[in-house]
Amino acid sequence: MKLAFQLAYKNLIGAGLKTWLNVAILAFTFLLIIFYNGFIDGWNRQALVEAEKWEYGEGQLLNENYDPRDPFTIKDGYGKLPSEEAQHMTPILLRQGSIYPDGRMFPIMIKGIEINQDVLAFPADKLVNSDESIPILIGKRLAKSTNLEVGDQVLMRWRDKNGTFDAANVTVVEVFKSDVASIDAGQIYMSLDKLYEITGLQDVATMYIGGEGYVSHDVEGWVAKDKEELSSGLTAIINTKKASGSILYILLLAIALLAIFDTQVLSIFRRQKEIGTYISLGMTRIQVVKLFTVEGGMYSLLAAIVAIIVGVPLFWYVSKVGISMPSASQSTGVTIADVIHPYFSLSLIVTTLILVIASATIVSYMPSRKIAKMDPVNALKGKIQ
Amino acid sequence: MNTETIISIENLTKQFPEGDGFFTALKDINLTFKKGEFTGVVGPSGSGKTTLLNIIGSLDKPTSGKVNVLGLDIGNLSHKESANLRNKHIGFIFQVYNLLPVYTVFENVEFALLLQSYTKSERKKMVMESLEWVGLGDQASKRVTKLSGGEGQRVAIARAMVKRPQIVIADEPTANLDAANAHAILKTMKKLNQELNTTFLFSTHDEKVMTYLDRIIHLRDGKLESEEFISHENDKV
Repeated sequence: MKLAFQLAYKNLIGAGLKTWLNVAILAFTFLLIIFYNGFIDGWNRQALVEAEKWEYGEGQLLNENYDPRDPFTIKDGYGKLPSEEAQHMTPILLRQGSIYPDGRMFPIMIKGIEINQDVLAFPADKLVNSDESIPILIGKRLAKSTNLEVGDQVLMRWRDKNGTFDAANVTVVEVFKSDVASIDAGQIYMSLDKLYEITGLQDVATMYIGGEGYVSHDVEGWVAKDKEELSSGLTAIINTKKASGSILYILLLAIALLAIFDTQVLSIFRRQKEIGTYISLGMTRIQVVKLFTVEGGMYSLLAAIVAIIVGVPLFWYVSKVGISMPSASQSTGVTIADVIHPYFSLSLIVTTLILVIASATIVSYMPSRKIAKMDPVNALKGKIQ
Repeated sequence: MNTETIISIENLTKQFPEGDGFFTALKDINLTFKKGEFTGVVGPSGSGKTTLLNIIGSLDKPTSGKVNVLGLDIGNLSHKESANLRNKHIGFIFQVYNLLPVYTVFENVEFALLLQSYTKSERKKMVMESLEWVGLGDQASKRVTKLSGGEGQRVAIARAMVKRPQIVIADEPTANLDAANAHAILKTMKKLNQELNTTFLFSTHDEKVMTYLDRIIHLRDGKLESEEFISHENDKV
């Protein structure tokens, strides 16, 4: 095998430009696959960290009557969690309502949060320090869609515990910026105590969010959701994106492999005399097949070296600086940061290397098998077989 | 000259498929070759010269009959055994040299040794010795694509001789060379034949080659037409 590598290396280097064209396209494929996957992995990691920070916490307990996918369950989907179970958790009460910015009705979800909680990243201190009668927090997406700014007052309507409509002006005391769209669009945040006060409810919550030290476990009357379960939807979306994006690099890889395949077919066609010479010098046909297969496989090894030389500084820079995402992507409803820092894991690089090297070796082997059936006499004459 | 028989051919027939039938390239050939012979197989195109040498060189197999080379029955050798025979005991010289274009002179000659278990220093010594034989010791690092036709063929001779084979098969070795180069090549081969007692088998219809041969085998239409032994008692290369 060492001999096959030595000879293959000499043959490839000797082939000059033809080799470097194949190597260039394979190296580009390497870089693209690693970059794309690194980008998606970076997005995934950032999205999960952000979602944990703003929405999931260390896990959730949802009232058994509340179904996040069914808005009709909000009305009665609340309860009181025994205090011994509520350790390391913060309650959130959900109520439906509407706001009327510029006279237009805007359906919203009112979320009551503890003003001294530190489980989620909301700037709850803004609610504490406000002198307004009903201070609220809104996210940048709602602010944009309603044209509301800090200091603006807007009429809010809600139902109390008996179902009676009530209304009052609320004041925006902070527009927070979060990459997690699902906690922003159509939602306002106010003090839980204030929400109790305006709805007449007391000491109840729709859900509890686990903080540091919380271990997900079942509680009677409540449905426990751990982090993996909560993030499964986001992960599924990202994986779908990854799969659809992979079509691009599969195509590119296919082109690169086709180039190698063509080169191999052409080599075997054009280098018949050389093959005959190898056999006349005492190589077995299997050794010649091995030599040609290694030659094809070595394109990917050379490409890997080129990709490392180009890719290491490039990817280091990109992962440090990050990639700015267009503002339009923030309104897609999927958690996307303003700047995504691609994450190039060792496993990603090794997996890509193995994928490309194995593919290149297989496509090199396929035409090389023909050599095993060649007649050395005809090969020496250069006769097409 | 050693009288040991190293090649014996009995009733050799070789046929190739052609259309619905067969083309008979060699028919009922009986020959023996002794160690140290400098023999030419001559005849017009299509007479079966190259086919005969290919079978002796275990690049091809007989359709019927028996070909025994260095005690091995060519018809019954596996691919691996054939390769081993060629690698260790048979050197080839081709009409168009068949050098490996991406390698240097040294690497081309070294190639045959790479398939055997010589150390790097042993290989270097053998290659340089072989290149000295053919007068190319100072061109070892040159690319073979930069060589003239005569030099290229001398590299091919060095490659064939480097492993000290018992038999060298040369298929029309002078066909692509001018007269001066052809004589130079033939003198080199004759010298190696005399010094190393290597058996040389040529296929040729070049008159220049004939003057160097000890034995000429005439083939016509795949049949052995005649053979003649030429004495060169007083010749010295």
